[in-house]
Amino acid sequence: MFHWLEKNPFFFSVGVFIVIAFAGLIEIVPNFAEASRPVAGLKPYSVLELAGKEVYKKDNCLSCHSQLIRPFKSETDRYGQYSLSGEYAYDRPFLWGSKRTGPDLHRVGNYRTTDWHENHMWEPTQVVPGSIMPAYKHQFTNIADIETAYAEAVTVKNVFGTPYGDEFQPSREAWEAHKPKVLAEAKAIAADMKDPGVKAAIEADEVPEIVALIAYMNRLK
Amino acid sequence: MQSNAALEYDYTVAKLFTYTAIIFGLVGMLIGTLIAAQLAFPELNYLFGEYGTFSRLRPLHTNVVIYGFTVSGVFATFYYSAQRVMKVSMAESSFIMMVGKLQFILYVILAAWMVVTLFMGVTASKEYAQMEWPLDVLTVLVWVLWGVAMFGLIGMRREKALYISMWYFIACFLGVAMLYLFNNMEVPTYFAAGGLGSMMHSVSMYAGTNDALVQWWWGHNAVAFVFTVPIVAMVYYFLPKESGQAVYSYKLSLLSFWGLMFVYLWAGSHHLIWSTVPDWMQTMGSVFSVVLILPSWGSAINMLLTMKGEWNQLTENPLIKFMVLASTFYMLSTLEGPIQAIKSVNAIAHFTDWIPGHVHDGVLGWVAFMIMAALFHMAPRMFKREIYSKKMLEAQFWVQTTAVVLYFTSMWIAGITQGMMWRAVDEYGNLMYSFIDTVTVLHPYYTIRAVAGVLFVAGFILFAYNMFMTMTASKKLEEEPQFRSPMAA
Amino acid sequence: MDIRELQGYASFFMTIFLVIMLYGYIIHLYRSEKKGERDYEKYGNIAIDDELDSNPVEKKPEAQSEKKEQKK
Repeated sequence: MFHWLEKNPFFFSVGVFIVIAFAGLIEIVPNFAEASRPVAGLKPYSVLELAGKEVYKKDNCLSCHSQLIRPFKSETDRYGQYSLSGEYAYDRPFLWGSKRTGPDLHRVGNYRTTDWHENHMWEPTQVVPGSIMPAYKHQFTNIADIETAYAEAVTVKNVFGTPYGDEFQPSREAWEAHKPKVLAEAKAIAADMKDPGVKAAIEADEVPEIVALIAYMNRLK
Repeated sequence: MQSNAALEYDYTVAKLFTYTAIIFGLVGMLIGTLIAAQLAFPELNYLFGEYGTFSRLRPLHTNVVIYGFTVSGVFATFYYSAQRVMKVSMAESSFIMMVGKLQFILYVILAAWMVVTLFMGVTASKEYAQMEWPLDVLTVLVWVLWGVAMFGLIGMRREKALYISMWYFIACFLGVAMLYLFNNMEVPTYFAAGGLGSMMHSVSMYAGTNDALVQWWWGHNAVAFVFTVPIVAMVYYFLPKESGQAVYSYKLSLLSFWGLMFVYLWAGSHHLIWSTVPDWMQTMGSVFSVVLILPSWGSAINMLLTMKGEWNQLTENPLIKFMVLASTFYMLSTLEGPIQAIKSVNAIAHFTDWIPGHVHDGVLGWVAFMIMAALFHMAPRMFKREIYSKKMLEAQFWVQTTAVVLYFTSMWIAGITQGMMWRAVDEYGNLMYSFIDTVTVLHPYYTIRAVAGVLFVAGFILFAYNMFMTMTASKKLEEEPQFRSPMAA
Repeated sequence: MDIRELQGYASFFMTIFLVIMLYGYIIHLYRSEKKGERDYEKYGNIAIDDELDSNPVEKKPEAQSEKKEQKK
């Protein structure tokens, strides 16, 4: 029946391609529009939160923490309301993770505060005895890249229509105009922190990674 | 070979990829062992400052063993066996030779760049697709060059029918190409935002649930087309050749090939069971994962039956031992996977250590064993020397087998323990354990796993040393061995 | 008929179709070998006898040398 296939590399390859492409077409394509609709009232991430998301990716928090609460009582008791598809509408990339060496973080903003995160990221075992999470002291000195975060906001606005305001434009002037807002947001978070290095950096108009990360953590609700 | 002394198979490119397979294997497994130890002994996180934390190192481990070790092994065995099953030499075309070498050079540049960027934390963060967009572009180039070499050789072949291994290599090429392109669709922010921010940064074309679907369509099928398909290609060539027994049933191999191609792609959504993707997709992933047992076992049984009547070789030839054990682990993990894809089992297993446990009985027991056996088989033919030490080979086999068993048993227990503790409630329906209780309880299993890692690396060092001595110091061979690879006691 | 119902029918008929295809193919393979129309198992020897100068199980019609000349 298909005996000739193994002797005709071209048709063989075409055959393989059709067979493997089939599943993707049927499983992925039909649901695309529906799954990308945001839930009512969902706001896009602020630039500072986007910078925090980059810190989350850079230090790869998702290798141990999920952001996906499954619809079981044991999970909703522990972490809160189970996750909905529309809540992730502005997550590019998605950060669900695949392993819970540490707890889920999808609604961590509901039950953890800025100072809790500050203490915990500095030395996890002081806050949670027995924790095997490493300390992330370098986040207190490394400076977050808020300009790239702004570039990301502009990109998703222009390419994917994410609802950012009109002031988000692909130009340096627009960025300089927006920057004070980012710094003010960072300042508000740093006000709840005690690390002198962080406070000094904020005074010098720089945003340490930890501040951006906490902004992102507090946003996860 | 004597009658046609001028023309021989040319193993230049195969040798180059053999070297990188050994080097990347060693590096990747060392990092793996370190991060395994970090979970048991967190102080080990601070060896290299910011660059030594578990979270920063984990993608390095996965990427180096996948794209460094495994893919090098795939290229090495391809450039070795494709010539042979098609009876055409790379030396016959200077163009293909050039393509092969260029592919190797770009591949090494890519690998080095990948290691540096991941250390720096420059990452797209999608699992097994962490490389940022400029590296993706280079990856596509390397892959296209491989395709040119592959189809170039096919065009020159003397053997009309493509052998089973070639089907799988072609499928590997096409499958990875398709999946990689779609999963890595991203927009570089520097260009979209008028030159603001970092050049390396990009955002995914897909958001949220869609991104997850595309990612696990890739993630699952990267396992299919990197860890399964080309390894099956290896076993279909190297086991018959080493044992001198033709494959048990060509017909069965036809059935299991097309079966695997058709079924594998559907199963991707089993990574997203109980998530926000639609129910019917989760069910589809679940069902097809179970169906997947058939074609997987088809290949594995075909391999084991190839040894029919020749089981004595299992005791006499350590390479046969490696390959038979690899086939057996393939059966184990292709049974374990579908079990984890059943919805109720998945509710417990997902997010726990059972998942890395499952991955590792596949990649250590099946992928690494098969690649090492293949490279050992190739060494006497490529370097025209016998294998340096049979004793060392035997020792390696037992050390590494012990390691794999320790690894997956400890992770089974750890995973199920943690999965059960997360959901345990007392008589009033309150959760019984805080999260940290479910972490500290795992300490002994993490320790065992770290020991397993040390053992596996020790075995790999034996492998590397044995290969090195085979290349440089072993006894020279007069003529190419036909079947069984010669080895010194 | 909504999409769910359609999916249900599609999956039912596809399953039946695939089962028939699979068994049809198996029967075809074994029958054509029994009748002596084809010998599939000889292709297994490609891996065993794989020297550059050994005879191919089935020769590719156009000669190797011609091909090379075309390329240059």
